[in-house]
Amino acid sequence: MDKKTRMKTVPGKSPAKRPKRPAIPRQPMPEQDPRRRRFNFEEVPLGYSEETARLEASRCLQCKKPGCVAGCPVNINIPAFVALIAKGHFVEALEKLKEQNALPAVCGRVCPQESQCEAGCILGKKDDPVAIGRLERFAADYAREAGHQQLACAVDPTGRKAAVVGAGPSGITVAGDLARWGHKVVVFEALHLAGGVLMYGIPQFRLPKEIVQYEINNLKKLGVEIRTDTAIGMTRTVDQLLEDGYDAVFVGTGAGLPIFLHIPGENAVGVYSANEFLTRVNLMKAYDFPKYATAPIRPQRAVTVGGGNVAMDSARTALRLGAESTIVYRRSLEELPARAEEVHHAQEEGVALNFLTAPKRILVDDQNRVTGVKCLRMELGKPDVSGRRRPVEVPGSEFVVEADTVIVAVGNRPNPLVPRTSPGIEVGKRGTIVTDKKNMMTSKPGVFAGGDIVSGAATVISAMGQGKQAARAMHAYMTGEEAPCL
Amino acid sequence: MAVINLTIDGKDVEAKAGSTVLQAARQANIPIPTICDHKDLSPYGACRMCIVEIEGVRGYPTSCTTPAVEGMQVRTRSPELETLRRRTLEMMLSGHPNSCLVCVHRKACEALRPRPTKAGRTTRCGFCSNREECALRSMALQAGQRDLRLPTLYAAHNLERDDPFMDRDYNLCILCARCWRICEKIHGKPAISIINRGKQARVGTAFNKSHVHSGCTFCGSCIDICPTGTLSDRFARWQGRPDAREVSTCILCPEGCSLTAYTKGGQLVSTAMTAFEPEASLCALGRFGCAQIVNAPVRLLRPAIKDNGKPFAVDWDSALDAAADGLRNHSGSLGILVSQATSREDRFLYRRLARALGAKIAVIPTVPAGRKQPLPKWLAGIKDKNVTGLILGGNFLDEEQLAGLGFLLIIDGLLSPVQERADVLLPAALLFETAGTFRTAAGRVKTLVKTSRAPGMARPEWEILRALGQRLGLKALAFDSLAEISAAVGNDRAPKAFKGGPRHDVRRVPAFFRGHRTADLVPALTAFGLPAAASLSEKSDAADGFALLEKRELVPNMHLLRIKAPQVAAYAKPGQFVILMARETSERTPFTLADWDAKDGSISLIIEEVGRSSRELVSLTKGDRLAHVSGPLGNAFPIEKKGTVVLGGGCYGIGGILPLARALRETGNRVISVIEAASAYLLFWEEELRTVSHEVRVATKDGSRGTLGGVQEVFQQIVDQQGQVDMFIAMGCTFMMRMVAEQTKPWNVPTFVALNPIMVDGTGMCGACRVSVHEETKFACIDGPFFDAHGVDWDELACRKNAYAREEVEALPQTVDLNALMFPGTTCQGRGCGR
Repeated sequence: MDKKTRMKTVPGKSPAKRPKRPAIPRQPMPEQDPRRRRFNFEEVPLGYSEETARLEASRCLQCKKPGCVAGCPVNINIPAFVALIAKGHFVEALEKLKEQNALPAVCGRVCPQESQCEAGCILGKKDDPVAIGRLERFAADYAREAGHQQLACAVDPTGRKAAVVGAGPSGITVAGDLARWGHKVVVFEALHLAGGVLMYGIPQFRLPKEIVQYEINNLKKLGVEIRTDTAIGMTRTVDQLLEDGYDAVFVGTGAGLPIFLHIPGENAVGVYSANEFLTRVNLMKAYDFPKYATAPIRPQRAVTVGGGNVAMDSARTALRLGAESTIVYRRSLEELPARAEEVHHAQEEGVALNFLTAPKRILVDDQNRVTGVKCLRMELGKPDVSGRRRPVEVPGSEFVVEADTVIVAVGNRPNPLVPRTSPGIEVGKRGTIVTDKKNMMTSKPGVFAGGDIVSGAATVISAMGQGKQAARAMHAYMTGEEAPCL
Repeated sequence: MAVINLTIDGKDVEAKAGSTVLQAARQANIPIPTICDHKDLSPYGACRMCIVEIEGVRGYPTSCTTPAVEGMQVRTRSPELETLRRRTLEMMLSGHPNSCLVCVHRKACEALRPRPTKAGRTTRCGFCSNREECALRSMALQAGQRDLRLPTLYAAHNLERDDPFMDRDYNLCILCARCWRICEKIHGKPAISIINRGKQARVGTAFNKSHVHSGCTFCGSCIDICPTGTLSDRFARWQGRPDAREVSTCILCPEGCSLTAYTKGGQLVSTAMTAFEPEASLCALGRFGCAQIVNAPVRLLRPAIKDNGKPFAVDWDSALDAAADGLRNHSGSLGILVSQATSREDRFLYRRLARALGAKIAVIPTVPAGRKQPLPKWLAGIKDKNVTGLILGGNFLDEEQLAGLGFLLIIDGLLSPVQERADVLLPAALLFETAGTFRTAAGRVKTLVKTSRAPGMARPEWEILRALGQRLGLKALAFDSLAEISAAVGNDRAPKAFKGGPRHDVRRVPAFFRGHRTADLVPALTAFGLPAAASLSEKSDAADGFALLEKRELVPNMHLLRIKAPQVAAYAKPGQFVILMARETSERTPFTLADWDAKDGSISLIIEEVGRSSRELVSLTKGDRLAHVSGPLGNAFPIEKKGTVVLGGGCYGIGGILPLARALRETGNRVISVIEAASAYLLFWEEELRTVSHEVRVATKDGSRGTLGGVQEVFQQIVDQQGQVDMFIAMGCTFMMRMVAEQTKPWNVPTFVALNPIMVDGTGMCGACRVSVHEETKFACIDGPFFDAHGVDWDELACRKNAYAREEVEALPQTVDLNALMFPGTTCQGRGCGR
């Protein structure tokens, strides 16, 4: 896995000579056996022990100009927290992380470190980079399990009130920062549980939901009010929130509008958007029927269309529900957008990957239930605008993949609820909200936005980064003063 | 044998002396309609459908109670008889919900809705689990009777859903008395009888006691003999008509009763008595338990082996290899515990295996509640290290008793608490999933017939043992077929008789099946004090939920819920909906807002009980709290001045059109509200609608009020009478909206329907609710719920709505509130109809 990661991040470089000083190798992450975990929803990587964490942390060279920090969307002081772990000061390490990152336990698990902080690690040039993500996760888990309580800073209330729309990664970040600066914060969440994609999207085996709810509880302890069951854009509009007396509004409603393939048969019974499939299983616990009332999904043969992390999550979830699980992706392994680690995990568990394959039609029975997917072989042509080689159909290469469940994981567009109902907010071509790059303010004064609703479907950490930016700007907007350091 | 001769309908007929006129006619293939008559019951003469004319006899005697006499002249058909029978049938139907029988849309409805709706109260055939098998229905359809002159008198008896295994709805009862007659025949002292008199007469227990305390043994014969949907097996009732039946043997105790196993698509649906005779009687577990046991959610599905302290699933070959290795390593110090609830062949192979490996073996007998499962003394050898390996054929030992064991192989069909401890776990087929023979306590050898499919990768134990024998190189276990094993078993000993009489007392049914508590697998058994691990279901009392201010059953099956939800009430607009969750574990289910009051912060919903989620909701009582109320959701209907607007509402849609009517009228439209129901007694909110519409019209499917038919027929009348209509809006079930769409299409008048597909989040995030409108995919939650009726792909919508039909049926028995079983009166399960 690590080898592949490195090859991917530093293309064309062969592994160099050993460093001169006695090298400690990058510490591997203990994992659940793939043969076993494919039948359970428990977390796959098991986490570092204290010893392993200290050993791994001691690899850090403590660079003067750390490349890792530059690679981090929220600019965590990585050398500092790593040094604290090396010294065994685990709780202090968490405090250091929390200065910049509200959700280290989450980011340590789901960030694509190999293309962010770890890509900038100087060790990585010649050897494997420091396992920054694993250390981040370790510090957060250690502190949580040790019952460490984060102290709310004693700040005088500012008397200002901010509304945060959407309790996902960006909203949680904004809410936490604003609350610490003394603002009254109300978070509006459409679903019945806060957490956004962390709750409904990312599966339990990658991010235990207990961790997300722990972070949500921390937010509540800071005085943030969370109103679930409230879909802004339906129940209230953003304009109405301003009328209701909120001094600033943050819109972090995410990229929750599934893209479909627009091929015949797509509305058949058994075809799910990845969002529906994952929501049913993660949020609604369809795997725990009959305790949970949500109808169980019992796939025998599942085909997932797409090649991103969501496709990997879907295929691995289908596997755990008892299916033979196949991914069809129209380009090749080289272009696969999913993290190498996720692809590796999926393959280890037995997900079959079908590259250069494009679905053309969903086959159905007389009850309009899925029986298979008619696919076409592809070959790679010239690079397109994304720089990736464009897949071209191979004529006459049709074949059928049998399936009773098809999961469409080809991406999401921004959720239209807020843009549709907020006339003064400028919306970009793909339905994203246009913001000022510097302060994340939309074309409507007092209304800020961040996360996937601004950038289109991206990562948890970039959403949090934008949340950080927006929170500072919102503070300045509401008080006229620069935000203090946290 | 004495023979008598008589004439029936001019035909000379021979009959056995002592037979009735009805029997004589049947023998001669002359049909006479009956309902109360049953071949296994003595004549009773309750339904009076079998009346005949007999020369020289005054009046119209019932042929079922009249003995045939030499030279008798019988007429079974005459205009008078036809009239009388029709009247009788009409009388019977007036006390039995019948609107579907006379509905003009019946054929279309049944074609588009092949499965009956899983309603709480059955108010028509389309809501009846017995639709396919109803004797009354087939008789009425045969008679082709459309014009019922007697109104339906819905008795509004409480539903009886708080008894362990049955649902009873005496509103469907036609007093044929088959149930108490079979009860008397089988048990001598019937637990039920006809109580009250005249119009109040109905079947019930003495002093209206719960069946748990009535002496009922739950043999289920009353269910099986009931010609209507009055009595039903709660677990089986919505599964649909079984497609296969097979007589097999119950092995749950050494009595080894014969029973008929009913299956559908290879799945066991129910088991019942093989005949309506006292000696064929079954105990509650045999009648109701088998299907629940084999369909339990705790079935073992895959072989597994232990790694790093936890079991993980593998294929059969790896598991068998691991099992054989373990047995080989512990040869000479092995023990085997087998359940008595296995076939002779299975036990025979276990014994052969024991002999070949020098293992100790014990068969654990089945015991009733209050007795301990006897365990062999040699188990002490586990502590002394004399026994280092064990094959465990059930849940007989706990963690402590297993401590110190070197190797544990579990061969069982159900998850057990000690499976984490097992080195190898092999899933076994149970009950009718395997063939073989069974020796009863009486010494008879009976056949086990394989009728249902084992779930997952489970296999019969004899196959597992044979495969193990092969791996261990044991010739003693090498058999080519099951028949060969059967032949080799020889004269085995009969098991000891089962203590107590399970067929006479439910409290004496086997308390264990392969060491698992039967009450854990068949939760209703807890009502009889059988031990169970699960405690009673707890009522959710979320402190910060949404309070239920009022709950009433407006008309049978339609419930009004008024909920405190200030945020929804403050911002709601006509046509919007909310998503409700009764508990944190509930499904997210959308319901159209029927009304709201921003001042007191309340919302009103009309909820029809048609499945698990709605049942959870309508089972709440005033003061309870709902876990979640999300909304308002969906686009409000654009309220503009159009001219004449006709609204059509059915079921919950009657509530749904009220706010629309009010707003449209306030905007200056002429508003005509049309509501439909199956029958007059099912209409509601007519007066409420009158206050917000210029005119209210009514349609009933049985013609008991207003126009005969549905809203579409009234739409036709309105167009015929008033000419110009500027807009139609319909809200109700998919079938009704589809009918409306077809009706108004040629008129070219804008017609809107509020679509109601399955939803999950309700905010456009998942696409579960996608519908095709004018060949474009739309999300009903954020693009709807209102769409152009003439562009909707109705077939697709119907299929998508049925996506989870099977799972929904599976979920229903799970909603049984055990509190209600144990403490009748503490909950509102099936209480009060509000009328």
